[in-house]
Amino acid sequence: MRKIILSILVLVLSLELAPGQGLYSPGSPKDDGRFAASTKQVNQFFRRFNAEESADGSKRYYSEDPLYRDRELRGKFISILFDNETSGISNEIKRDFMGEILSENMPQYINFHREGWFAEVSALFLYKGKRENVTLFLKIQPEGLGYEWVIDKVIFQPFKDIFNKPEGDAKGFLHPLSHELGFMNLRKAFQDSDTPEAFTPKEYQPDYLTLFLYEMKKGNIRFETISDVKFHFFQINNWYFELNQFNRPGFNTGWLIGNLVKLKPGDKETLLRYIYDQK
Amino acid sequence: MKKYIPLFLLLFFATAAVSVAQSDNISPARKQAIDSLALEKVKDLSKYISIIGSKETQFSEANRVMDRAEELFAPAAEMGVSSLNRKEIAYYKVRRYFERLMALNYDRVNITWYDIHYISDLERQPDGRYVGVVTVYQRFEGTSLESGLNYRDTTKKDITIYVEKKQTQIAGRTIEFWDVMLGDIRVTETSA
Repeated sequence: MRKIILSILVLVLSLELAPGQGLYSPGSPKDDGRFAASTKQVNQFFRRFNAEESADGSKRYYSEDPLYRDRELRGKFISILFDNETSGISNEIKRDFMGEILSENMPQYINFHREGWFAEVSALFLYKGKRENVTLFLKIQPEGLGYEWVIDKVIFQPFKDIFNKPEGDAKGFLHPLSHELGFMNLRKAFQDSDTPEAFTPKEYQPDYLTLFLYEMKKGNIRFETISDVKFHFFQINNWYFELNQFNRPGFNTGWLIGNLVKLKPGDKETLLRYIYDQK
Repeated sequence: MKKYIPLFLLLFFATAAVSVAQSDNISPARKQAIDSLALEKVKDLSKYISIIGSKETQFSEANRVMDRAEELFAPAAEMGVSSLNRKEIAYYKVRRYFERLMALNYDRVNITWYDIHYISDLERQPDGRYVGVVTVYQRFEGTSLESGLNYRDTTKKDITIYVEKKQTQIAGRTIEFWDVMLGDIRVTETSA
């Protein structure tokens, strides 16, 4: 017992006598304000966007705090949440956006648990011995006692290349009296054709996620690594914005709005199709 | 000596592991206490990393510190490392990461930590445990005396913390406390 206490004491003392080594030890390098300014986590993006933390991020504001969601503080925060170096979002569109979310009568906030935002993850997988890019879309959902991220959709080019439904004259079909022959001509659809998807309804969409999971369970697809992550937000009425991570010198860094679009009726569906299909 | 052990344990849980919890919800005051505890664990880790990386640390001592550092982590925790030139994440088990750090081919290594951190909110997982992320920044300086080359980088470390309410029996009494374990760490080289 004494030996254990002695060895713990020696270890603790050796750590205490190692100045300048740990977090906040004497000699720690000082942040010149760049790390403080950076939106370091997606969590901090939410807190800044809603003005739910102090200017330096050290204090979380709750509804009983006087500065919780303070309009002036929010305005200052949001103005630094845009990528001002590469994205080219015009000042006019920023002003419009801020005018709507900071409205005195009906301010709008973003919410971690609410629908209307999702992640896009660029990943690399090994498929049939070759490195392939895969785009995964993840959303957050309630589960058990809390929440979890789940894979909602997948884009995988090799699958898209397989399912290429022909159109017009090139499209095979089962003639309308096939039933009278007991559908004997299905042999042509399944054996003689390399595009069996030609014989599916107009609304048919391949379920790439199911295929992807099937191939993974069969051992044909293996995860390698992640290369990029971004987020899509549709939580603000009639607006879409993309959240990207900017790792560069300066003060305008971290998780910032890299794309901002005012949506007209129907635009949301078009944009979602664009994001999911990457057209 | 043995008769004091329960007293030591009681004091430890009362001071270090946050006060007795009555409900599963985390109030702002309790969140603040958990943040402090999480930050203590991160501070411990930062000290251990500095010691493991230092060329003045004896091999046996570095191994002992690695053991202690590993104890801070939940099982199966991994480090995911990327650099400015290589955005893809390279994965290492925590122990392997420490071993690589110890084996770096520099004559002098100095690891220091910036005076800034950010602690996320705590979110509840399906299993009832809470999860959060603490962000800190580390500066690494390595010098090779023979070539006279200096290498320096600054990395952002996003450290997962798991927060769980636990129970222990001390002198016949059930004591509840909030415990913090470290999880996966994302290491990103910054342009600073």
